[in-house]
Amino acid sequence: MPAVELVGITKRFGDVVANDGIDLSIETGEIHAVVGENGAGKSTLMSVMYGVHQPDAGHVLRDGVRLRMRSPADAIAAGLGMVHQRLRLFPGLTVAENVVIGAEPTRRGVLDTAAASREVERLGELYGLRADPAARVGTLPVGVRQRVEILRALYRRARVLILDEPTAVLTPGEAARLFEVLRGVTGEGVSVVLVTHKLGEVLAASNRVTVLRGGRVTGRFATAETTAQELVVAMIGRSLAPRPLAPPGERAAGPYLLEVENVRVRGGEGPARVGGVSFGVRRGEIVGIAGVAGSGQRELLDVVTGLRTPDEGRVLLAGAPVRRGRDPRVAYVPEDRPGRATAPTMSLADNLLMGGQRERRFSRAAVRERARALVERFGVRAASLDEPISVLSGGNAQKAVLARELSGDRPLVVVEEPTQGVDVGAQEQIHALLAQARDEGRAVLLQSSELSELRALADRILVMFEGAIVAELSAEEAGEDRLGAAMTGAAG
Amino acid sequence: MNLTTRTAPLLAPVAALALTTLVMLATGVDPFLAYPALVRGAVGEGNLEYTVAAYVPVLGMALAFAIPLRTGELNLGGDGQLALGGVAAAAAALLVPLPPVLAVVFPLVVAALAGGLLAWVAAPLRARLGIPVIVTTLLLSPPGVALASYLARFPLAERGTGLAQTPVLPDASHLPALGESGYLTPALPVVALLTALWLYADAGTALGYEIRATGANREFARYGGVGVARLGAVTLATGGAVAGLVGGLVVLGPPYRFVDGALVAPGYTFTAIAAVLLATGRPVLVPFTSALLTVLQAGGQGMEREAGVPSQLTQIVQGLIIVIVAVLALARRRTAKKRPGGVTP
Ligand SMILES: Nc1ncnc2c1ncn2[C@@H]1O[C@H](COP(=O)(O)OP(=O)(O)OP(=O)(O)O)[C@@H](O)[C@H]1O
Ligand SMILES: [Mg+2]
Repeated sequence: MPAVELVGITKRFGDVVANDGIDLSIETGEIHAVVGENGAGKSTLMSVMYGVHQPDAGHVLRDGVRLRMRSPADAIAAGLGMVHQRLRLFPGLTVAENVVIGAEPTRRGVLDTAAASREVERLGELYGLRADPAARVGTLPVGVRQRVEILRALYRRARVLILDEPTAVLTPGEAARLFEVLRGVTGEGVSVVLVTHKLGEVLAASNRVTVLRGGRVTGRFATAETTAQELVVAMIGRSLAPRPLAPPGERAAGPYLLEVENVRVRGGEGPARVGGVSFGVRRGEIVGIAGVAGSGQRELLDVVTGLRTPDEGRVLLAGAPVRRGRDPRVAYVPEDRPGRATAPTMSLADNLLMGGQRERRFSRAAVRERARALVERFGVRAASLDEPISVLSGGNAQKAVLARELSGDRPLVVVEEPTQGVDVGAQEQIHALLAQARDEGRAVLLQSSELSELRALADRILVMFEGAIVAELSAEEAGEDRLGAAMTGAAG
Repeated sequence: MNLTTRTAPLLAPVAALALTTLVMLATGVDPFLAYPALVRGAVGEGNLEYTVAAYVPVLGMALAFAIPLRTGELNLGGDGQLALGGVAAAAAALLVPLPPVLAVVFPLVVAALAGGLLAWVAAPLRARLGIPVIVTTLLLSPPGVALASYLARFPLAERGTGLAQTPVLPDASHLPALGESGYLTPALPVVALLTALWLYADAGTALGYEIRATGANREFARYGGVGVARLGAVTLATGGAVAGLVGGLVVLGPPYRFVDGALVAPGYTFTAIAAVLLATGRPVLVPFTSALLTVLQAGGQGMEREAGVPSQLTQIVQGLIIVIVAVLALARRRTAKKRPGGVTP
């Protein structure tokens, strides 16, 4: 008997049919991958399974029993746990508090902080998901925050773990560790539903795959008997041409457009600092930044974009210091989409405007016109420009951010995790855009936890570890093992 | 797409009225007597002009609260800013005799400066010491009121009467009357113009966009190059200046003097906050919600006179409206959380 079975699930949002009669059964102890394009309805289906959305038709069975799901509380009671695509933690609380929230260990009626910390450490130890229980979640990199979410579900003894794009922001090392964890828990009879855009993970880790497209199931496969090509065809209705490798391109020469000189970041909270980093980026080249989450990349890029003032050192752009606050010569795609790259409650049109509001005369018509052009050019799928950006599927919101930042002609382009959460077709498109920016003679600084992305795009890769650049590898030198070794601090 | 957002401004008053009717029935008041009395009290013979006159400070104070609210700053110090503006206008008019038009403009400018300064203080305190604006403005309000009161009782007091009020201001500083009763002054068009300006700036200018973005997600705005701290300070000062100006406008109108307590006692600030909350984040609704609550208040007094219903009942209605708006907002947040796109806590 399946652990969980979805029967004939249909879910509409206004005119949008996000799920259209979907059947899905999850066996006990399996890792079941759910894949599909951006907006295919994956997150919606997971939300229905977890009681977040009530379906317009269909129902959910748990161990063969029909569940009455009014809210996630019912799902949790039935042994389901979910890690959302958009993390839902309280940034002001500690790791331990976030994990135990809703089921806190108490002593004489008050939160027993020590017990909570012990529990977090024990679970972290058990599953290899280490996180400092006393750290404030708001100060942690996204990768670590996600571990906290997984810990929270495990803490509540979930028997079915729903993970919506858990690896979108993890480094390969962290992802590998996550899959070890997942194999471990499935060994104990926990079932895992895994939504992801990374077919490599699907093929390596899952037992079965269900493919969604336009809200319907377009393919069911046993992983052992399928291939990436077959999955792609089911996902997008055609096969992808093998990724055109970045043209060899003459080695960019000439002076550095961006010069980072001995930058040091001490202050603030957070585990990683930057200690005396220097490098340069020329026009017409893509420089990659690799590193385990929390190695100082975030702070370094904050300094480069002008959002943070370094304690020491300086950053020059075309010979002039970057402007504090945010230098208008820098296009910047941040990693933290709901926290920094977008205002979730504002309309799509308003979100697409940020940074350009002073460029020409402001008018509502002009704002919408600009938005319409961007949406069209970058293929963002949205029902309306006036709805809050938060109703877009994750990948489409990411495309909107890229559209806003890459459309201008700012000479320096800084991108963090550009393809997080976007489908395979769009990944290709985004890579082409970055390559195009380089070919136009812009300088591109690309931070990614996706090593294949770095290797495909970057001319040089800087590896950060504990706040320092510990290695600089050319595209040819940057094999997975050399990169991986450098990222963990072993000599590069 | 969302029921509660769209309908809150309508739903809340209707639900509040229903509840009020229940209260009336429970206390043995005939609603068929009370409601007509309420309407007559607000817009009936001779009362309309008074209601419109009361609308001016309510709408003005609504701006004083709503302008900083757009950047996410809560200005709860309206009373202090209002009283200080009023007394500053009186002092300016009494101490600096000027020719006609200037004798009105100068005190109003001083009033706006006084209110703006008192509100602005909250901004550096937040930036430097991290004290929330809601706390500073609230704590600075009573001293503002007290200072105004002291000035009216002592240095500026009308000698010999023993009343806590300033002497009548020089004629040149009187706002001309627009109607027969003298209650209506150019204060109405001034506040209406400010409202229109604000609505235009909010929806149709880059500054308004940056203000909205700051309120929606501060980090997003900062990332976009918006000077969020500066905007917070500017909107706070602007809100305070509007409050001060309202105080000045009231003082330069009948009875043409600063009377201690006259600005604060009617509770304009609270009514205005309720009106802004009722508008649930849609600025265009603020003039209407302000009008609704003003009518309720003015009508409440008529109801007391005619139907013997205590006018406190209308305060109950007002309170209920706020509670219902809050409940709807909470419900909305809960449904929002249910969406995959819900706001991250
Ligand atoms: N709360 C909502 N209101 C309106 N439309 C919604 C809402 N949630 C989802 N949608 C729409 O439903 C469709 C499916 O969205 P969903 O988030 O399930 O896609 P997804 O497969 O998870 O995509 P992605 O890979 O980009 O995360 C999209 O068209 C999306 O815009
Ligand atoms: Mg999704």
